[in-house]
Amino acid sequence: MVEITLDDLRKMAPRAGLQLADDELQRLLPGVNRSKKQVAELRALIATESEPAATFNAADGK
Amino acid sequence: MLQTGNRRPVNQNELCYLTITEAAAGFRRKEYSPVELTGALLKRIESIDDKLHCFITLTAELALRQAKQAEQELRSEKDRGPLHGIPIAVKDLYMTNGIRTTCHSAVLENWLPNFNATTVAKLQDAGAILLGKLGMHEFAFGGPSVDAPFPAVRNPWSTAHIPGGSSSGSAAALAAGLCYGSLGSDTGGSIRTPSSHCGVVGIKPTYGRVSRHGVVPLSWSLDHAGPMARSVEDCAIILQTIAGYDAKDPASADAAVPNFRSGIGHGIKGMRIGVPRVGWFDENLGVDRQTETAFNRALEMLEELGATIIEIDGKPFSHARKANQTILVCEAYAYHEKRLQQAPEKFGSSVRRRMLEGAFLSAADYITAQRARAVLNEQIRANFTLVDVFATPSAPRPPEAFATMDPNEQNLRPSFTNPFNLTGLPAISVPCGFTHENLPVGLQIGARSFDETTAFRVAHAYEQATKWHKQRPVL
Repeated sequence: MVEITLDDLRKMAPRAGLQLADDELQRLLPGVNRSKKQVAELRALIATESEPAATFNAADGK
Repeated sequence: MLQTGNRRPVNQNELCYLTITEAAAGFRRKEYSPVELTGALLKRIESIDDKLHCFITLTAELALRQAKQAEQELRSEKDRGPLHGIPIAVKDLYMTNGIRTTCHSAVLENWLPNFNATTVAKLQDAGAILLGKLGMHEFAFGGPSVDAPFPAVRNPWSTAHIPGGSSSGSAAALAAGLCYGSLGSDTGGSIRTPSSHCGVVGIKPTYGRVSRHGVVPLSWSLDHAGPMARSVEDCAIILQTIAGYDAKDPASADAAVPNFRSGIGHGIKGMRIGVPRVGWFDENLGVDRQTETAFNRALEMLEELGATIIEIDGKPFSHARKANQTILVCEAYAYHEKRLQQAPEKFGSSVRRRMLEGAFLSAADYITAQRARAVLNEQIRANFTLVDVFATPSAPRPPEAFATMDPNEQNLRPSFTNPFNLTGLPAISVPCGFTHENLPVGLQIGARSFDETTAFRVAHAYEQATKWHKQRPVL
């Protein structure tokens, strides 16, 4: 897994419509990397055919 | 001492610590009345809540008006059931018609909803009395807020310690004798953790069992509404009132609502209790030693009561936190996106930091977590061929002190509550001991989907075999 850097966050924040100061991005960085690491660990649990828990039901349109 | 006519004298404190069952019976024996109990609680709130900060909004006038109505109705034998005339309070994310609903946040500091949450309406139809709106973690996320417009709730067992969250006020008010029942909400443990930390009982029902209509969302696919009280039976009584299908909630389950008290008193002889210890309890920093000792003693008690303890694989439970947290931050960010873009400074620093993480996760990350959710659900539920319920500590450690609280530490210990949000399975927390510092510890019992009745049965058997639930904080 490639670690996200402060510079990455600086580029990503405006794309998400967020105007965040550097100190705020710095505080966010460890949490974002922890979340990304968790997702990488989850990927190891799922098989190619695994479908997400949330699916669309055509019968009731939800 | 209170003495009215021929009634038995009742100490004010005892009055405030009655269970719902006791209060309801007392009304019908005419030992005390809804107006007396409401008055006693309002007086106690006035005298001690300035050090606990359980209430954000007190609805004293409304409560007294509802109490008078309940009293008249009970006198004229128009009986609405076990919650008739019972003073309760709700977490401040339940929408209340014309009553401020803040989510403990500057964002909604003066918001007046124009309808009641389905659960609030059901409680009012059952004749319950609304004392007010309770403090919480801001938007049910993050930790105790130091920069919110309302002070953080304190733990009645030690005001230097956190009460747990996010339904902090809902648990602390019960422990302090400020209400007889309350509503909380639970997305990752927000009913069960504060119940554990404050020595009260709280159940996260099955996903879909209780309507979320009119409950401000944190994470649509993980949010659960549920009751908290000072006894297992009281929790069952409140759940009975608020459970049931609601067309206004897309996740509401059209499932039959059983009598939740039907298993109470039947004992647990022959019950198989699964403990997912291996591969989970020793995760990173593991479980606090005093917590594990209290939990192991609870297991011994359950065995004495006739249950069999079976060790099961803890790994799927351990993974559940990763999926739960990923889904939670993505959905929470999606719900609050516009506000976070336009006025992030209105959010407290703790909740803002947690929610903003969601802006930097991708759609693929979210879907990966939902795919893992399906896999883990299957693995966790497969255990029900071997066991009837799961048992774990409710929280991995006792309440932390405000002064030394480390918000990152929770990621270094196992989350015992998250798997039940991810799977939607019901889980209840019941008091199971105290630390050397006299801080409460909770036991969690998880059951099959829509089988809250069995969770109540096991929790009640344990509760009645011990005295933990009878302990009161000194205030």
